[in-house]
Amino acid sequence: MKKLALAATSTLIIAAATAAAADSVASFAAAAEQSRLEFAGVQAGAEFKGVFHKFTASVEFAPDALASSRIDVQIDMNSVDTMDKDRDTTIRSKDVFDVSHNPTAHYVTKTVTKTATGFAAVGALTLRGVTKDVPIEFQFAPAAGGAKLSGSAKLNRLDFGVGQGEWKSTETIGDAVKINFSLVLKPKT
Amino acid sequence: MPNQNSPTRYNAVAQAFHWIIAALIVTQFTLGWTAQFLPLGARKVARLDWHKSFGMTILTLAVLRLLWRLFNRPPELPAGMTTIEKSLARATHVLFYVLLFVMPLTGWMMSSAKNYSVSWFHQFTWPNLIGPNEQAFNLLRTTHDTLSWLLFALALLHILAALKHHFWDKDDVLKRMLPFTKTEKRS
Repeated sequence: MKKLALAATSTLIIAAATAAAADSVASFAAAAEQSRLEFAGVQAGAEFKGVFHKFTASVEFAPDALASSRIDVQIDMNSVDTMDKDRDTTIRSKDVFDVSHNPTAHYVTKTVTKTATGFAAVGALTLRGVTKDVPIEFQFAPAAGGAKLSGSAKLNRLDFGVGQGEWKSTETIGDAVKINFSLVLKPKT
Repeated sequence: MPNQNSPTRYNAVAQAFHWIIAALIVTQFTLGWTAQFLPLGARKVARLDWHKSFGMTILTLAVLRLLWRLFNRPPELPAGMTTIEKSLARATHVLFYVLLFVMPLTGWMMSSAKNYSVSWFHQFTWPNLIGPNEQAFNLLRTTHDTLSWLLFALALLHILAALKHHFWDKDDVLKRMLPFTKTEKRS
């Protein structure tokens, strides 16, 4: 009886240890200077691009432990830059980003999966006070002193109420917005 | 290619270029000058969207018109005109051609400098001519605006001159650009 109990206990310990090993993910933070978060929208039939200068990203990732992998991004909406002051002022205003009430946007993944070309994730994006799932696709490449994570997403701005009043019309500003990101990851200390 | 204009009349192609571009320019003044007074907003963006599409249409037509003009001499000016009048008429027309290019080009550069790329009726996007640059934008806007007044003055002079030829000199200068009319064959 004693022998059996011992065997059972050791099996449990081994199982737990194996599970722990499979679950081990590396923790990273995006290096602000080298990382980039861009978006592209359509204004009056022509594409325009913008960036967010300030954002933080915390990444826990291992290609063999996707269940416990996670990407968490906080974006300072005030740091929007489309290379035109007038447009940036409009974007920050109440009808568009409403930065005075919603200064940050937040994206956190719920599930991460492997795809034929890289990885995909579905996460909750909170933008202008509205939270909705947004899928992303990305590549993860270990690099010297960390890793590089880059990818893209597509969303519809009106799903988040980005564009009220006169800016609701998709004739002037298209609904679809493309997102591109390239994060240079450093191990968390 | 032989000259397609008769000695006394502009042919259908020349007339089409003239009247289509004239109508587009009137449209451009209406859109451009009224858009200035709109507050920054969706209505202004939409109005300037039309302005840009029409402007790029004018630029394209201007290229075709200039090419056509190079191979087709216009009808001769009436013999009764003085040398100064003839020089003035030529200078006016040269300046019109210059503005047909400079107006759309400064507008296109303005849009590029503001990082608002130019679409052609939402069908395709023209490449940016210069990078985003606020100073360049301000300079180009002043140029575009000032030249619009020059174009307006030139058009006024052009119209008054055409009416003067028609009603005062009683020659065929106006009629030879008018469709559905006849000009006397010069002997």
